[in-house]
Amino acid sequence: MTPFRFAAVSTVSEASEMLRADAAGSRLIAGGTDLLSEIKEGIVQPQTVVSLQNVGGMREIVAGTDGMRLGAMATLTELEGHAEIRRSYAALAEAAASVATPQIRNVGTLGGNLCQRPRCWYYRSAAFDCRKKGGSICFAINGNSKYHAILGGGDCVIVHPSDLAVALVSLRARATIAGPGGERSMALEEFFAGPQVDIMRETVLQPGDVLTHVSLPAPSPNWRSVFMKSRERQAQDFALVSVAAAMEVADGAVRDARITLGGVAPVPYRVRQAEEALQGAAVASVDPARLGEMAVAGARPLRDNHYKAPLASNLVRRAVTLLLQDGA
Amino acid sequence: MSLKIHVRTTVNGEETEFLCEGRQSLLEALRDILGLTGTKEGCNDGNCGACTINLDGRIVDSCLVLAAEAEGKTILTIEGVASIDGLHPLQQSFLEQAALQCGICTPGFIVAAKALLEQEPDADEHRIRHWLAGNLCRCTGYDKIIRAVLDAGAVVRGAK
Amino acid sequence: MTTTADRTTKTNRKYRVIGTRPIRHDGHDKVTGRAKYGADIQLAGLLFGAVLRSPHPHARIRSIDTSKAAALPGVKAVMTGKDLPEKATPPGNFMETLADPQVLTENVMARGKVLYKGHAVAAVAAVDRHVAEEALELIEVDYEVLPHVLDVREAMKPGAPILHEDLRTRTTAQMPGDTPDTDGPTNIASHVQFVQGDVAQGFKEADAIVERTFETKPVHQGYIELHNSTASWSTDGNLTIWKSTQGPFIVRHQVACILNLPPSQIKVVPMEIGGGFGGKINTYTDAVAAVLSKKTGHPVQVVMSRKDVFEGTGPTSATHMRAKIGATKDGRITAVEVNLTYAAGGFPGSPVGSGAGTCLAPYKVENLKIDGYDVVVNEPKSAAYRAPGSPQAAFAVEPVIDELADKLGMDPMEFRLKNATRTGDRQASGVPFPSIGCVEVEEAMINHPHYKAPLEGPNRGRGVALGYWGNAGMNSSATINVTPNGSITLVTGSVDIGGSRPALAMQAAEVLGLAAEDVHPSVGDTDSVGYTGVTGGSRTTFATGIAVIKAAEDVRDQMIKRAALVWETQPEDVEFKDGVFTSKKNPEDTLTFQKLASRLMGTGGPVTASASADPKQVGPSFSGMIVDVEVDPETGKVDILRATLFQDVGTAVHPSYVEGQMQGGAVQGIGWALNEEYFYGDNGVMANSSFLDYRMPTSLDLPMVEPVVIEVPNPGHPFGLRGVGESSIVSPMAAIANAISHAIGQRLTTLPMSPTVVREALVNGDK
Repeated sequence: MTPFRFAAVSTVSEASEMLRADAAGSRLIAGGTDLLSEIKEGIVQPQTVVSLQNVGGMREIVAGTDGMRLGAMATLTELEGHAEIRRSYAALAEAAASVATPQIRNVGTLGGNLCQRPRCWYYRSAAFDCRKKGGSICFAINGNSKYHAILGGGDCVIVHPSDLAVALVSLRARATIAGPGGERSMALEEFFAGPQVDIMRETVLQPGDVLTHVSLPAPSPNWRSVFMKSRERQAQDFALVSVAAAMEVADGAVRDARITLGGVAPVPYRVRQAEEALQGAAVASVDPARLGEMAVAGARPLRDNHYKAPLASNLVRRAVTLLLQDGA
Repeated sequence: MSLKIHVRTTVNGEETEFLCEGRQSLLEALRDILGLTGTKEGCNDGNCGACTINLDGRIVDSCLVLAAEAEGKTILTIEGVASIDGLHPLQQSFLEQAALQCGICTPGFIVAAKALLEQEPDADEHRIRHWLAGNLCRCTGYDKIIRAVLDAGAVVRGAK
Repeated sequence: MTTTADRTTKTNRKYRVIGTRPIRHDGHDKVTGRAKYGADIQLAGLLFGAVLRSPHPHARIRSIDTSKAAALPGVKAVMTGKDLPEKATPPGNFMETLADPQVLTENVMARGKVLYKGHAVAAVAAVDRHVAEEALELIEVDYEVLPHVLDVREAMKPGAPILHEDLRTRTTAQMPGDTPDTDGPTNIASHVQFVQGDVAQGFKEADAIVERTFETKPVHQGYIELHNSTASWSTDGNLTIWKSTQGPFIVRHQVACILNLPPSQIKVVPMEIGGGFGGKINTYTDAVAAVLSKKTGHPVQVVMSRKDVFEGTGPTSATHMRAKIGATKDGRITAVEVNLTYAAGGFPGSPVGSGAGTCLAPYKVENLKIDGYDVVVNEPKSAAYRAPGSPQAAFAVEPVIDELADKLGMDPMEFRLKNATRTGDRQASGVPFPSIGCVEVEEAMINHPHYKAPLEGPNRGRGVALGYWGNAGMNSSATINVTPNGSITLVTGSVDIGGSRPALAMQAAEVLGLAAEDVHPSVGDTDSVGYTGVTGGSRTTFATGIAVIKAAEDVRDQMIKRAALVWETQPEDVEFKDGVFTSKKNPEDTLTFQKLASRLMGTGGPVTASASADPKQVGPSFSGMIVDVEVDPETGKVDILRATLFQDVGTAVHPSYVEGQMQGGAVQGIGWALNEEYFYGDNGVMANSSFLDYRMPTSLDLPMVEPVVIEVPNPGHPFGLRGVGESSIVSPMAAIANAISHAIGQRLTTLPMSPTVVREALVNGDK
């Protein structure tokens, strides 16, 4: 680990300025659980670590008539335990509760969870100079690909590691970014970028950009959501596959549906075909198993992850079945 | 790097100051600078919980907190769990239930479990297993640890 | 369900202290953070060492340039393999070590070749750990990368990359044609063979035969404490090493070999140890810290990272195995053939011999043939892991037994009981079993409510399996001193990993009529107590216990003489019972142990006694597991619903810690069964060298594990003890495999049985 300077700023613009001034040498730290792992492994060697812990207001979780505003520095524990989130955005509370361990959820933040780097073991090991680190090889494509992507990979087959992202995309969250040019906001799914866009990063954040908060639309009374995560250990584990489904069911019909998969693609993966099939469908006519199959249409498994497509299908089927039962 | 950071914290009830480098973790500061070696290093990567401390009322892996981030915060380590009057009920219960074998994970478990019992002295087995899922033990299979926490909970809430 | 809650309940009515549950003597320090483990030692002027490790699994070292590292401010010394004596020299006696000294040296730091990713090649000492790690980056090693081999079957093929040009197969094979070619270079380090009866004839007599092949991956002991060494080389040439180890005397011996020092010049101070499970016997960084200390004139501490522990210290062997068993319709086993191939890692020494020796222990078999091959591959040198070699072999034999019972339409336990071994039956090696409790364990399993409990619902299954470990004796020493207030201090050479202090103290207390609390046990350093072998092989409470009992009996006899002196009578006229001395001639003359202790100075001075033990009548331990699982057919996830572990422990000294050993072994077995494995990339690099990716079970992954303690006393110990530490890990993998097969109707033959493997079995059918 090379030496670095620790700078605790007091405003977002101060942070933004420092990040822009030394794009290569500075890194933002929120909870630090991801960044410090990377620094310790030597795959990131910052000169300056810019801490947001003293920036006022970034940790607030505010519920209003038009929905919720979640500060990027809110911890996973705070999200998991928030009464309004549990009531109206269950998938988010469930996703937050499924992350890592209590210790990590106590410091890990919303922003950090969304901006965390992939858990691909080739990326995480200094022993592999992989494409994400500027090398020329994706070691997973011909190596051990048990935990890698079956959809949308290409030159780099990471899966996006964030559980919250999967839930938030299905919950129609929007991300707000403060950058050198001011503030901008976008649908959360547009916040993520696959290797086709830029193999060196997983989001659209540019030097000097800071994710400040995530907003959720006001829930309708018939809105239900669920998050499910398949993993090898019941704690301290990332998803083999996860699914978040959100659905509005009224008068025996599906008004609106969103289904997002985690653990299958370099970005949270929206299952649009299944969503469209659900749109307006009479509850009695919905075939959850068929939706599950649609979810992984076009999957291209690697040597060691053939299990993922059926697993994802099954999780989609289970999630849809559960929500239809709840809504009925 | 010679430019050290001055950090003021409260550790186990005592106002404490130390000088650290930006890259030093709170675990290193506690052990190597302050000599509080009761907090253990098992992985230095947030995956075992042996370095669990209580930071401003929340349990954290001290290996994943920078020492500089402790500025102004309140820290409880295993050394601060027992009082001059004796052991905390959890410590007593760990001894009575034989909830430790090698003992290297014990400080982390006790600090973590103490935070749970302060909020929920009536936590049941499932809740305890959830709460302690960030602490690895390789010796006991967790059985006797869970029983010890259940038992200490009864003491804390006055049921035993 | 058994609990330890009622500590006052005695499990054994024969004894006063044995079978009770006192608070462990080292407990307070361990729950308050005061206990000092190896990395907790802080010395004036302490420097920090770090080790550079090979990025390649197999390469020739052309040159190492350390000049840039040495020039980094804060760096005090740099070393390479050239700083260790060329030839490791065993210093005479006390050669109790599990490895060839030359292999130790080469494993501690590579010279000509690196044999695995993670093999140490150089080290630095610096003012702090960060500077030391930075310096490692500045060391330039020029490697000639060589082809590598990871899989044992590949390594045995002609044309495979050869790890050691001078290696030839050592063979104990008895059958013509079984002896591998030993003329040329090979990766097969040894071939062991056990043959009894006529296997071909035995299979002819069989009405049903099952044969399957099995495969297991390397798994790590996974102790939570990192390996550490702190060394101080004094100006007078004496070397002190503080460290966490299972065997301080073994470390002394190993370091003496590597550094060509007389053992008397080395003092090893055992600190508290944070788990070992066999993995903290081999020396890794001790000589490195010592050389760095000599070079700098400062004490030097080396603490491995978790990655170093995974990549540079012993996992247990990966295996490829085949088992073929035949039986008659009425359930009599007629023949068994087992073939075991174990990966040794970079140097010879897998536990295949133990696997071969133990795998048929639960069965009386007339016709058997067991072959075992120890094969070097480009992986870390394997190290002992709890009942080394036995769990893998049981995973090959026990599922075949289960399937055979199915085929014969017999209850799997009834089938086992029908073929159970008894005292005096011949082991695979031909040596008769001493007193054993195989039948008692099996009967306890059959009669336990768990075995009879209904298990309803789809995708659920129950499995059983047996385990065996022979346990070890070796040598131990103990010293007892009587204090003026009538308690005793007890010093042994046995490191306390899981409660051996109380278990040893209780044996002394039993002899001397004292309470467990009246004994103050401690672990001596190598200068302060007699030679004592490792805390391993489930030997400590048994063998060190015998040394303790002998010392306590000596104390008792000396105290009797003092009482006789006080009463002006003869020692044979003094009776000692329950801590009280009584004159047979005048029964009113009584002295408690405490009273008499206060009069030692007037009756001949302090009472002190030392004894050593070299026990030969070691008590083997049978065990077994009943386990219920539920398989999610869509995700492949296996949940353990209920697990009961049975074990013959001889006599349980401190039942809580006996149960703890059983539960701990069972859970390590569950991790091995369901999750744990080394994933290697094609480049020979371990991809999952962190606790996150290695996936040991968390508290959420497990149910309570019920321990059922069975006590068939071992006549080789005054109180009937058997070792209890290891046998418990042997049966779980096979029991879980059997349970899964009953749940899903497919036989799984590889470890781990992770969700992906189970899913694939469900999709692809029997494999």
